[in-house]
Parts: sequence; structure tokens; C-alpha cells
Amino acid sequence: MKRFRALRLIAVLLVPILFASACSQRDDDDADGGDNSGEDSGDSGGGDSSLPIDDCEVDPTAEIEGDTIKLVSSFPQSGLTAAFSEIAKGWKSYFEMVNENGGVQIGDRTFTIEYEDRDDEYDAQKTAANIEELVGPSGEDAFAVFSVVGTSNNIFIRDQLGDQCVPNLFAATGAPNWGNKDYPWLAGGSIPPYSLESYVLAEVLKEQKPDAKVGMLIQDDDFGAGYRDSFEAAIEGTDIELVKVESYEPGASDVAAQVTSLAASGADVFFNGATLIACPTALTEAAQNGWQREVTWVSGTCISKTLMGLAGEAADGVYSIANIKDPVDPQYADDPAMQEYRENVTKFQPDADIDNGIVAYGWTQGALLVEALESAEAPTRAAVMEAVRNLDVGDDVGLLAEGTGVTVDDEDRFMGERFNLVQYNFENLYFDLVEAFDYEGQTAELTPEELINGG
Amino acid sequence: MSDHQQQDRTAPRHMAARDGDRARGADTVAGVPLQPPTPRPVFIARVVVGVVLTAAALYAPFYFTPSDNRLLSEALYLAVAAMGLNLLTGFTGQVSIGHGAFFGFGAFASATLVDDYGWMFEATIPVVALLTAVVGLLVGFPALRVRGLYLALVTLGLAVLFPQVADKYATRGDGRNIPAIRPDRDSFDSLLEGLENDQWKYYVCLVTLVVLFFAAWNLTRARPGRAMIAVREQELAAATVGVNLSATKLWTFALSAAYAGVAGALSVMIEGNASATNPALYFQLSIEFLVAVVIGGTATILGPLVGALLVVVLRRNAEELVSGEPMLSPALFGGALILLVYVLPDGVVGGVRRLFARLGRRWATYELAPDPLSRSA
Amino acid sequence: MDLFIAQFLNGVSSGVVFGSVALALVLIYRSTGILNFAQGEMALFATYMTWQFTDWGIGVVGAIALSMAFAFVAGAVIERVLIRPVEGAHNPLNVVIVTLGMFLAINALALIIFGTTERKVPYVFPTDSWDVLGTNVAKETVGMAAVLAAECVFLWALLQKTKIGLRLRAVASNPESSRLVGINTGAMLMLGWGLAAAIGALAGSLFAAGETAFAGSSMQIILVYAFAAAALGGFDSLVGAVVGGLVVGVANALTIQYVDLLDGIELAMPLGLILAVLLVRPTGLFGKRHVERV
Repeated sequence: MKRFRALRLIAVLLVPILFASACSQRDDDDADGGDNSGEDSGDSGGGDSSLPIDDCEVDPTAEIEGDTIKLVSSFPQSGLTAAFSEIAKGWKSYFEMVNENGGVQIGDRTFTIEYEDRDDEYDAQKTAANIEELVGPSGEDAFAVFSVVGTSNNIFIRDQLGDQCVPNLFAATGAPNWGNKDYPWLAGGSIPPYSLESYVLAEVLKEQKPDAKVGMLIQDDDFGAGYRDSFEAAIEGTDIELVKVESYEPGASDVAAQVTSLAASGADVFFNGATLIACPTALTEAAQNGWQREVTWVSGTCISKTLMGLAGEAADGVYSIANIKDPVDPQYADDPAMQEYRENVTKFQPDADIDNGIVAYGWTQGALLVEALESAEAPTRAAVMEAVRNLDVGDDVGLLAEGTGVTVDDEDRFMGERFNLVQYNFENLYFDLVEAFDYEGQTAELTPEELINGG
Repeated sequence: MSDHQQQDRTAPRHMAARDGDRARGADTVAGVPLQPPTPRPVFIARVVVGVVLTAAALYAPFYFTPSDNRLLSEALYLAVAAMGLNLLTGFTGQVSIGHGAFFGFGAFASATLVDDYGWMFEATIPVVALLTAVVGLLVGFPALRVRGLYLALVTLGLAVLFPQVADKYATRGDGRNIPAIRPDRDSFDSLLEGLENDQWKYYVCLVTLVVLFFAAWNLTRARPGRAMIAVREQELAAATVGVNLSATKLWTFALSAAYAGVAGALSVMIEGNASATNPALYFQLSIEFLVAVVIGGTATILGPLVGALLVVVLRRNAEELVSGEPMLSPALFGGALILLVYVLPDGVVGGVRRLFARLGRRWATYELAPDPLSRSA
Repeated sequence: MDLFIAQFLNGVSSGVVFGSVALALVLIYRSTGILNFAQGEMALFATYMTWQFTDWGIGVVGAIALSMAFAFVAGAVIERVLIRPVEGAHNPLNVVIVTLGMFLAINALALIIFGTTERKVPYVFPTDSWDVLGTNVAKETVGMAAVLAAECVFLWALLQKTKIGLRLRAVASNPESSRLVGINTGAMLMLGWGLAAAIGALAGSLFAAGETAFAGSSMQIILVYAFAAAALGGFDSLVGAVVGGLVVGVANALTIQYVDLLDGIELAMPLGLILAVLLVRPTGLFGKRHVERV
């Protein structure tokens, strides 16, 4: 027992040390400032203003002090949805590349991009805590929030960031909520709004199978409910019928019973709104059930090489939409943007799964942000937010697919309104282009209003 | 190292009765063996430590940064829930891995009262305590007929089920379809001039904690406490001496549920919302309550508080130590738990007690009886 | 009716997985009286090993065998190194905390070592199905059920028909006396954990082989259902674990199909079932009653 006593003593000593290391002295005046938004609200920021800047807790027209611009983020890095952390590997690579080339120019000054992130395990409550801490009580610790993953996660932080007037940029979900004009400091990313997926499927069906009976598999959360509600709205007034909706617990991979139920419902169209493993699993289950379908649709979140590869032959012929170049598609082998992507991700994030579409997505968000920063008039929050909200770029940014440039303005907050209908080709293991869609400026019309502004 | 273990299936029953010299029966108070008179130096040391700690607890929010205060407040509400579980598991011997569900119920109840009915947050606390106690009674009535291990598993099911139920029925609020209730951000603002919000929240948690811990302390020293311990130690024997088994279990269950519910309410103030967006949240919380009880010191009064502080600090430090390698943090946290249990098998409070007992022996002018807590090697 | 049978078979196929994991839980419980929260994650780690072996070019059956051998050794080592020091502790909750710590740590280690990407273990059984009287019976389901049955027979034979089994049971029922008659109790406890880990490895690997893929989260939901299965069957009965697994699996599938009221809260069904069974039979369907001495 002797050695145990010694160990116990160590433990007893360890406790105060742990505490000491967790503490830091309170600093009541907030003037320590960090390197960002300083106190001197010197000059005019982004002068123009549909942005309400009067009620801000922190002056958004203050210029960045120092020569770094700090971005913070929170996304799952462990737990059920840890796979989403690949997104960050894309944008981190992009920022590293920009820094290596001298940094980003905002107004007439040049900045190095600094970033910090925390793990939230996809738990919105944790996201809120992370962001509160990363941004600081008076917004002094970071310039902006970037690429936070998840719908509820972004909703949980939008009040705080809105009050502080800290930009929350490129929320990494396709929820239509980012079109809500009550939250001017929040901008969605380039994922096509989920409601447009529903709309496009309805369009495709009107052509191919006007009397379709649709069976739908959704995740049991707001993501899934968004598909259901928007699809119901999209088929209103048509002969298309939604005959059965089944849901599964987020993180579950066994959806056999749900798919059997859908197959038995007499549906001849399968809307597979599942994501991560449940998505390919649903496809193989559908095949095993011998479900005869005219059209199968998979969520735009499921079109990565990895997930489709898992479904194998069962994925042949499924439709989805995409607006990012697929890294495995051989037609892009010589594409300079793709080469730049491969080179830099390999260099800066060697453990990233480079063929994975979500890394390419992350890379593209990085590119879009840098594009916005460089078009901002001054290195202030207001100016940058203004620039993001008036972003108008072609398909030469990041890995945006041909013809899917991004346009937003005060009336239309939605990015990702231009995209391609694609179909999976099992022979080649990538998606073939079927048809290009351009719904620029129309998302608000095509989406049930309560999905955008709900509550 | 004795590697034997007795053939004893229902874990909680023999909680303390492993070694003969550890039996804690009717001759104990709050699970602590009655000791010979405390030597003067030890008594003085206790008073000094007590005064210093009280002063530190009161001064803390002025010393720490807002984010540290938030962390401390988290530890405080975690401690309240852990104390609830301690009453049930530590003192009465009924293991629950489902108190996260009551915590969640308390959180949703409190957030609803604030958001829908415009209540002042502080006023929801006692109401939530009552409501959760009622739910505890309703759940406990069937659940407590199931014993030992099986009770642990049934309650585990509750914790896993709760977010699904919340997702189905409590889905509302902004953003539609999101199972969370988020009152306005200023619903929890400081009511006292001169206190920042983070400081105010800390004090609300602290006062609640002190009241509830004091209540628990009194309870366990009195007749109901003896009944609880009797149930834990030996159900049949307790019944034969007139303890109403099912009643004792049931009210302890309801009481501990109420503690967890109050903790949930406090969490709404700290986190700003009641949420079921993470399907594993309430299961994880249930586990944390149990961890706090055990590493703090099972069946002690200060144990849950110490344990909760440790859990929160360990978790946070594990996160900070490995920034950039987030996967490592659960590994470190898990490893730290295992290490703590090895090093301090009777929790921090138990360890400190042993230390005091030894120091006491050394300082005492007369030799005390052999330390009743030391285990034979 | 066809639909009912189809869903029933779906239930059986997931029930077999729950049952296999429950089997491992019961084995550990019987040999050491411990509720092993890390069982699912141990199986997950072994499943990653299986994947790693196949990735190195070893055939899937060989890979599973290797991974079971690895799990057996690892399980025994875990018992000796991590569990033994707290096994005699005066507070039995300490063991629970250790297994919870393992739950966190093993999951994290698996993800650190093998990455967060979804992995695919090659199919062990053919993916097509037989047509039995107009119903599709997946060969995989039959294969899994056969393996589970074989496991049961093996364990039964081991425990009831061999000297080692006799010792295992002796240690489980009375460690003190076992030691007195010269049984190496430590070795038996290690054997119990090793066996359970190997069975868990088999369950995890076969599950992963049958699914399109698995990831770090795959075993967590399964563990909850496996606990339910073990509780339903009675925590000290091997047969109970298997029957419990099947009942829980089938109940779950049928709930999804037929009980729209429980949409999204399907878990309520197995939970209600357990509660109902335990209220009538406090030690589960197949559990032994204990006589309590004052």
C-alpha cells in the first residue's frame, strides 16, 4: 500500500495545480483589447448602411488593430458527427495558403489570417458556450465567427453575435433560416438551401413521373423536418404524393426497418434525406428490399465519394444537386483550381481526406471569405459584413462548379442558388452533370416562409 | 492487493460493507463513522480551512474572469445535481444513471415558465423543484420496484429517451423544429447594481447550492438519514426494524429528482437555454453526476461539490491541453477518471479525511483508536 | 403479412447484433459482477482492427479471427491492469467509473488511431437473399443468427462441459472458496474478460461487415439496446441475452412500422417492455432469483 499513499499525495497536490492552471485573474476593464477591434473608433467604416449599427454592444466601425485578423469557429471534432471536422481542414488550408502568399488585403492594409476553433460535438449548447468564450464578453477576442457547422448551432449563437454586431459568416448548413432578415450579422454559406433540393426534386418529378408516390427518409431533427416541410410545400397542387415519411435518430446507422416500411408503402420515388452513414445504408437497404423505384434522390450532404462509394452499386443512378467540383471527377484533373486545392491541402493538412467533397466545400468557403474580405472597403466588422452581404462572384472562386457563381444582396440573402442536377454513375464512381439550375434570387419565393423566418 | 471480490450481484447493497472494518450502519452519521473526540489542532485546522474556503467562495467572482465564473457556476449546478444523486445512490444505495432526464425536465420547465409565462427566472427555481419532485414520484413508483443493476439500466433508458421525447413534444421556439427553448438573453440579467451578470449568476448558483446542501446535511443526520442508510446497508434488516422500504426509496427518489431539476433550472440561466439538440446530452450529464459523486466522495456532504469542481476543471483542462487534437481530450478525461479512482478510492473527501485523521493522530496528545478508515493491506 | 414478416426479419437481424453484444456484457457480469460500459467501445476498437487487417490485404474471415485474438488478449490485459485494482474496492461504484473512463478513452483512441472517416469491412455473408415462401430472407441475417447460435453452444459447452468452465463458474459464484481449493482466480477473471472482449469483437466486426459502413459512433446506440436486451433477459443468463436481443430488435422494427404514435421515440417500446417484465419478474426473463441473507 506504500506506493498508493505516495500516489494519493500526488493527487492531492495535483488538485490545486489543476485549479491554478484553469484560473486567470479577472481583468475588469475590458481594455486589454486583444489584437482586434480596438477602442479608437477612428474613421468611417463601411459607411453605407442597411446594417443597423447603432444598437451594437461593440462598435462595428472600429478598425482592426495590429496586423492579424482573427476568425473563430466551433464545429464537431469528436462524437457522433466528428466527420464534419473535415470541412475545417479545407478552409484552414486556404487561409494558410493566403498567409503564405503575404496575407489578405482589406482596404489599404494587409493582414495575416489567424483562426481558432473549439469542439462542440454538434451540441448547440456547447457551440454557444464556445463562441461566447472565443468572442469574449465584449467581442474583443475575435473579429468574426466563421463556418460554424449545424443549423441549431448557428441559431443558438445568432442572438449574442447579433447584439454584439460580430459577423457570423458562412454558416455551414443549407438551412433556409439564413435568409431571415432579422439577423443581419449572420450569413449562410454556399450550400444550396435544403428547400431548393426539395423544389428541384419536385420539378424533376413533374417531368419524369407526374403522379409519383414519394417515400421519404429523414433525420429526426430540424434538418430532416426542413426537407419534409419544404417538399410538402413544393408538391402542393401537383399530382405528386408524399405517401410515407420515416425518421431515424441522428448518428444511427441501422435504418433497415425504416426503409422496409417505405418500400412497403407503395412509393415509387425515394427521397433519401439521410446524411452520413445512414444515407448509403438506406440505399443498400432499398436494394436489398428489392424496392422498385423510378427516381431516387439523395441529400446534397451525402454526395461525397466516401459515402457514395460505401453504397456501391446501390447508388447507381441516384440524383442529387451539387455546386462544388467533385475532387474525384477526372474531368477536373487538369483544372488549375483543383490542382491548387490538391497541392495546398496536401501541404497544410496532410491528414485531410482530399477526395472528400466536404474538404473541397471547406476550401471554397475559405476562398469566398477571402474574396469578401478583399472587397471590403475597410478592415471593420461593418465593412466586412457589408461586403459579404453584397458578394457577387463568378465560378472562379475556390472550387465552385461551372456556372455556380454566388450572388447575394440586401433583398436576397441566399448563396448556393445556382447548382447542377447530378446523377451518380457507378461505373465511373462520380456524379455526371444532368442539368444546370439557376434559381438566383428565388429561394425566398420557393421556400415555405416559416422555414426561413419561423418563430 | 486483495483481488478477491465477494459474490454480490446488486452493486449498491454492499456499498460500504466490503471489509468488516468499513461497515457503516446505524452507528454512523452521514456515512461517517463516529470518531473519538476530535483533537484540538484538527478542530482549529477545520475552522481555519472552513473560513478560508467560505471567503474564497464569496470573493471568487470578483477575482476570476467572466468565462471562469461561468465555469464555476457550471460546477455549482453540476454539484447540486450530484448532491441529489448522492442522496439516492450514496446514502440510499439506489443507483441511477438517468438523473440527466430530471435535469432536462427541470431545464425545460424553467425555460418555459420564463419564456412563455414571463416569470422571473429566480422564481422558477422552487416551482421547478416541486414539479420535478412530482415527476420523480411518478417515475419512481414503477421504477423503484426494479432493483440494483436493473434500476440503473431502466434509468439509463430514461436519460436516453428524454431528448427524443423533448424533440418530439418540445419542438418550438425560433427556427422551428429545433427542440430548444431559449428565453430572451436579458431574462437572466443581474438584479443587483454593482454585480455583473456573470457574478450575479454565480451567486444565484452558490446560494441555491448552500441552501440545498445544508438541507441535505440536516436530512442525513436526522432520522430520515438513518432510514436511508439502513435501506442501503441491508434492506431486509431495515424492514424488520420498522423502516418503510418503499416509502423511503420513493421519497428519496423524488427528492433527488428535485435536486436534479433545480440544477437543470440553474443550467438554463448559465447556458441561456434548455436544449435537446444533442441526443446524448442528458446521458452524458447523468454520467457526470455519477462521476462527481464517486470521485468527490460517495455518501459525504462535500463530496458532490468537490467532485463537480473536479469534473468541470478536468474537462476544461483536458480540452485546453490538447487544443488542435480534440480527439485526445476525451481520452485524457477518461484516463484522469480512472487514475483518480485508483489514487483516491473513497473520493477526494474520503482521502482528505484520512489525511486529517493521520495528522490528527500525530498531533494528538493521546493516541486515538486505530484509524477506522485505513484498509488492511 | 409479408410486410410483417419482412419487418420481423429486420428486427431479427438487428436483434442478433444486440444479442451478441449483450452476450459479452452478460459474460463479464457473470464472471466479475461488473456492468461493463466500455463493452461497445471495446468492440468498436476491435472492429477498427478488423478493418485495418482487411485494409492490409488479409481476408475478412482471417481478419476477424486476428481481431478476436487481439481482443482476447486486450480484454485480459484490461482486466488485469485496469479493473483488478478496483475490483475489491469498498465502493463498487469505483468499477463503474473505471469502465466509464474506458468508454471515453477507448472511443477517443480509436478515432485518433483510425480517423473519423467512415470505414467499410468487407461483407462476410452474401448480400442477396433467399426466397422462402415468397419472403426475402437475407443470407446475412441467417449467417449472423448461425454465428450467434454457435457462440451460445460454444459458451455453454465451455462453461458446463470443461474443467476451465467449472473453474470460471466457481470463481464467479464464490471467489474466496475457489481460491481455497487452489483455483487461480486472477487467471479466471482475465479469461472471462478476454472471452467477452473476443465475443464483442466478433459481434462488432460482423455488424460492421453487414452494414454499409461503420464509424466511431456505431456502437453507442447498439450498446443502449444491448443493455436493454441483457436487462430483459436477466443479467446472468446467456440465453436470456440472446432472447432479449431478439425481442428488443423485433419490437423496435415493428414499432417503426406500426406504431406511428411513437415516431421518433421508438426507444420507449423496449424500455416499457423491460419495465413491464421486471415488474413481474424482478430478475429478468431468464435470471436466477437470489436468496438474500440477513
